Amino acid sequence: MKELRRNMRLIGTLLLCLFVGAGGWFGYTTWTQGSRWAMSSRNTRLSTARNTVVMGSITDRDGYMLAWTDADGVRRYSNDFAIRLALSQTVGDTMSMSGTGVQTFFASTLVGMSGSIIDRTWQWLSGETTRGDDIQLTVDARLSGVIAQNFPSGYDGAVVVINYKTGEILAMVSVPAYDPANMDTDVADTAYFNRCLQGQYAPGSTFKIVTLASALENLPGALGHAFTCTGSHEFGNGMVTCLSGTKAHGQLDLRGAFVESCNVAFATLSYELGQSALLRTAEAFGFNDNFTFSDVVLYASSFPKDIGSVSELAWSGVGQGRVLATPLHMAMIAGGVANGGVVMEPRLIRQITGSTGIPRLRATPGAYRRIMSASTASIVGDYMRGVVESGTGTRARLSGYTVCGKTGSAEISDDKSVETNAWFVGYLEDGAHPYAVAVVLEQAGSGGNLAATLAAKALSEAIELAG
Amino acid sequence: MTKKTVAIGTMRRALRRADTSLLLYAIVLFQASAMLLLTLRTDPIDTQSLILAGVMPAVTLLCVKGLPRIWKIDRVILALVLFLCSVSVVTLTAIARAPITPLTQAVYIGAGLVGMLAAIVFIRLFRHWNRWKIVFMLLSLGFIALPLLIGETKNGAKNWIELVKDVVGVQPSEFVKVSLMVVLAACLAERQSRVMKALSILFGAALCVVLLLERDLGALLLYFLATVILYFIATSNGWLSLAGLGAGAAGAVAAYFALPYVKKRVVDWRNPWADASGGGYQVIQSLIAIGSGGLIGMGLGLGMPRMIPLYHSDFVFAAICEQFGMIFALCLLAVYVLIIMRGVSIAMSCRDGFHALLSFGIVTILGLQTLLIVGGNIRLIPLTGVTLPFIAAGGSSMVSCLAGIGLLLGISSLNADRDEDDVRRAEWQEGERA
Repeated sequence: MKELRRNMRLIGTLLLCLFVGAGGWFGYTTWTQGSRWAMSSRNTRLSTARNTVVMGSITDRDGYMLAWTDADGVRRYSNDFAIRLALSQTVGDTMSMSGTGVQTFFASTLVGMSGSIIDRTWQWLSGETTRGDDIQLTVDARLSGVIAQNFPSGYDGAVVVINYKTGEILAMVSVPAYDPANMDTDVADTAYFNRCLQGQYAPGSTFKIVTLASALENLPGALGHAFTCTGSHEFGNGMVTCLSGTKAHGQLDLRGAFVESCNVAFATLSYELGQSALLRTAEAFGFNDNFTFSDVVLYASSFPKDIGSVSELAWSGVGQGRVLATPLHMAMIAGGVANGGVVMEPRLIRQITGSTGIPRLRATPGAYRRIMSASTASIVGDYMRGVVESGTGTRARLSGYTVCGKTGSAEISDDKSVETNAWFVGYLEDGAHPYAVAVVLEQAGSGGNLAATLAAKALSEAIELAG
Repeated sequence: MTKKTVAIGTMRRALRRADTSLLLYAIVLFQASAMLLLTLRTDPIDTQSLILAGVMPAVTLLCVKGLPRIWKIDRVILALVLFLCSVSVVTLTAIARAPITPLTQAVYIGAGLVGMLAAIVFIRLFRHWNRWKIVFMLLSLGFIALPLLIGETKNGAKNWIELVKDVVGVQPSEFVKVSLMVVLAACLAERQSRVMKALSILFGAALCVVLLLERDLGALLLYFLATVILYFIATSNGWLSLAGLGAGAAGAVAAYFALPYVKKRVVDWRNPWADASGGGYQVIQSLIAIGSGGLIGMGLGLGMPRMIPLYHSDFVFAAICEQFGMIFALCLLAVYVLIIMRGVSIAMSCRDGFHALLSFGIVTILGLQTLLIVGGNIRLIPLTGVTLPFIAAGGSSMVSCLAGIGLLLGISSLNADRDEDDVRRAEWQEGERA
């Protein structure tokens, strides 16, 4: 009997542990992923609720109405066509065509499903028409509209403007776009796709920010490093070339290599760093992280973990090969440089107000993580200032303000048969206007041209409109 | 005062059973308020719910107050089990539609309570288990194999017998579960001979083969694990038990490759979103319901739990999560744990092997069954079609679970009788000495 009791105690404890484990898993997954499950487009509760519930309104940071439900229960959108289009993927639509839009991702808030149980039970008993919660976004509608209007015609791409001190997203424009008020018209397949969040592009030379930071933090004497560029250099069995074509950069120091965006120099740096150091810095910057931000669904940026050859390592250091980044992530990185190495978590929701009119949620800034030391950030920032002052990004200059940035011309084919994607990421060095920007223009050639011009326009409009 | 009298005082205090009135009134309050709320939901008011709002607390009070006057049964287990049954009725009242109605569930619970009383009487009178076990074995085997001959296929498993077409049916595997425990406990209890040990394993294996033929894989898994666990407890033969588990795991791997529907279950569990409108549909709808419920739930009668397939049986846990929320669901799991721990302590205080093994076997089955189906609902493990004890809609499960609890309660009353005898004897001896 003694042995029997011992065995029973053992199995009984085991059963208890299994229950605790199952309960823990249940609580943990529901707590961390529950709202994502509920927001799934397969949740018929949401689409049904839209028919019975007055869906809450969506406004921009100044209270400008972006979407609301009128007295007849019809979902209405802003009358300004440009704003409607510019914010189409951000606001989303009632058919969940744009999967990351607020009307899809925050549907349960807008239909009041996440409200208090007392409210809901009361409404259910009293038979009152249920009204969802109102959402105020951090975006500026006019700024988004102006950016969309200044988008060079004929190009697809994305522009993100964020406040790097608070993480607030001020504008998020993805072209092509669609009209949520007129869903029957034919649009391009990618119009529903928010390039700022979901576009995984090769970052090209904008990735040199990461390689530079990695070199500053890992290579002793990096600041005194000298390079000789002959236009191309062999790494392993591959050739890294500078995009300036036949023209070689000649003798360069580290700053010069960054300002002139010399591929050979940065390929050399990544070769000297080795793949593990570069991967470590990239992951510290947020690459390979499955971002689980509360306000936006940001697709992961990636840096290869299994670099197979010296030539791939060299190309990875200049943001080519299997390196991919989203525009919002690159804007966050630029903002991190400006913010002394700390990246703030992106915020899209400014406030949620229940049907009683009392705000239920007010956004508070929160840090995503520190991506580099403050001293590294100040050196990288100084180099980025050089890019706009005298380097590849002079078209991003704004009179009266200091713009810092980095251009990128990312190759998207192996044989140069198509134009490169043009990138510009940067920020304003201005305490009153802490804005960071990322621009991608697909197949628009060099990042120093159209992309830098558009970035300057976006920043100057942000100063003008968002104050 | 001598040392002996102090000991007797302690023993007498132990006999005074825990005061369960607070627990009892909380349960009655839950039953009455939830059913009244559901009564007011419709216009005109739902008379069926109104009747249940009165009947359920009355039956609960009658059972928890009345039955311990007849037998010294464990009132905490009884009260908690009745709470789970009332969660079943409340949930089904809120979400179910004909032919599964709260009234049919209440009738099943009534039948289950009768079964529970019968089980209490049975276990108190049942003395010659060694003689009867062969009879039980043969009856169990015959009963569980019956669906193979005259059965119906339900949700992919041929484990169902229609007694009256489309009205009354039984699922033999639910009932045989209890008799498996009785037989195993009888075989493995005292003076274990090699023959008896072998016979117990053989019997478990034979039942598993029948269940495999019927494609009732959830029950198969349950029977297998319970047999191995009981064998280990009785014989302390850890290596052989582990070997048994290993053989089971090998069998599971073989089933994965040999049986396409097993493979499908595993694939749908690994990545349900890949086939969200096909194989992954059930699990995804379950997760969506759980997520929609959030911490505190959508509220009783609110939400759309009928979007979950099999919301009244296999996925009733997800439906409860949507209605009552995660906190309530975790508390529900805690109630199961309390019942199990209470059952383990009953098993520990038994003085003969048969009763100890039987009561432990019953709580093991209860625990494993709960873990299997809850784990399937929350995507911790692949889905297996076992029922959530005391809650899922269905008569066979309800009656067999309550009958199992009846055996457990009967054993607890035997323990209490025996303890009382001990105290009386000790007092008598003390009197003699004085």
